[in-house]
Amino acid sequence: MNCRSIQAGFDERLDNRLNATQQQEFDTHIATCAKCRREWEAYAGAWQTLARHEAIEPSFSFVQRSLRRLNEPEVVTAPARWRLPVLRWALLATVVVAVGLGGWDGWRHYQGLKRAQIYASVQDATLLGDDFDVIASLDQLEGGNKL
Amino acid sequence: MQRVRDGNEDAFREVVERHQRAVINVIYRSLGDAWEAEDLAQRVFVQVYRSAARYRPTAKFTTWLFTIVHNAILNEHRRRARHAAESLEALAEPGNPEAAGVQLADSTAADPAQEAAHRELQERIREMIGRLPDPQRTAVILCRYEGLSYEEIAQVLRCSVSAVKSLLHRARQTLKDELRGYY
Repeated sequence: MNCRSIQAGFDERLDNRLNATQQQEFDTHIATCAKCRREWEAYAGAWQTLARHEAIEPSFSFVQRSLRRLNEPEVVTAPARWRLPVLRWALLATVVVAVGLGGWDGWRHYQGLKRAQIYASVQDATLLGDDFDVIASLDQLEGGNKL
Repeated sequence: MQRVRDGNEDAFREVVERHQRAVINVIYRSLGDAWEAEDLAQRVFVQVYRSAARYRPTAKFTTWLFTIVHNAILNEHRRRARHAAESLEALAEPGNPEAAGVQLADSTAADPAQEAAHRELQERIREMIGRLPDPQRTAVILCRYEGLSYEEIAQVLRCSVSAVKSLLHRARQTLKDELRGYY
């Protein structure tokens, strides 16, 4: 075991997760390596210090008060207040987008119908040899009415 | 737990008596306030009673219990962050459970200087644990004070065992630096 693997094993050693052989190797290295021993003492020392944080004792009537609370009605928490406006705005945005898409689709459908009518009128005019009508229809297609 | 599931209040009383100290202290160490710890602990036990039908004996009871405790603590942190309110007791003497009328375990310190040093250490540890990020703090408390294994902590935190190792490692690195001088 080298210093790197020893220091990587600090947590396992602290939590007694090393097997007997590993533990012996660990302890032997710590006893002989000043650098690792310093690191280990700081690491383990801080962890041991935590144990000095005292526990608190439950108050005398804790159990009774807990039992009394069983009879209290269950509190159903409302959704966080900030969520309601966000939901509303999200719903509104969805409606606007849906209407917009529907409207755009409708507009394109209308344009498609109009184009079909103009093509039809161009064809009719061509068949009848009516150049003015053809020109007017083509103007509509290319000029005034951008389809 | 089978009897609690059937609505037996005596069985529920036994559960509370057996686990009250652990639950209250996990919450106290997480929140730093003894009054709120007792209040939240009571709500946890009520939740245990109401959720008894969902408990499956395949999991260790304490693991299931601490999962409820952990969720309650997370919710409390979120609530505090939203309202940024503090209890009057915490304002009066932050972190001092005696000011909140809660009993401390017996201190062995005899003279005033030792008592002051002892209080300072308690406050320092409380502050350091409180400063750890949520999952690290829970992992430390469950490992150090409740003796849960990595596998049990992983179940409570809903993460992998390697994630628990990583959480503990990072927390210990922080504590090693912050508690220098106290060990």
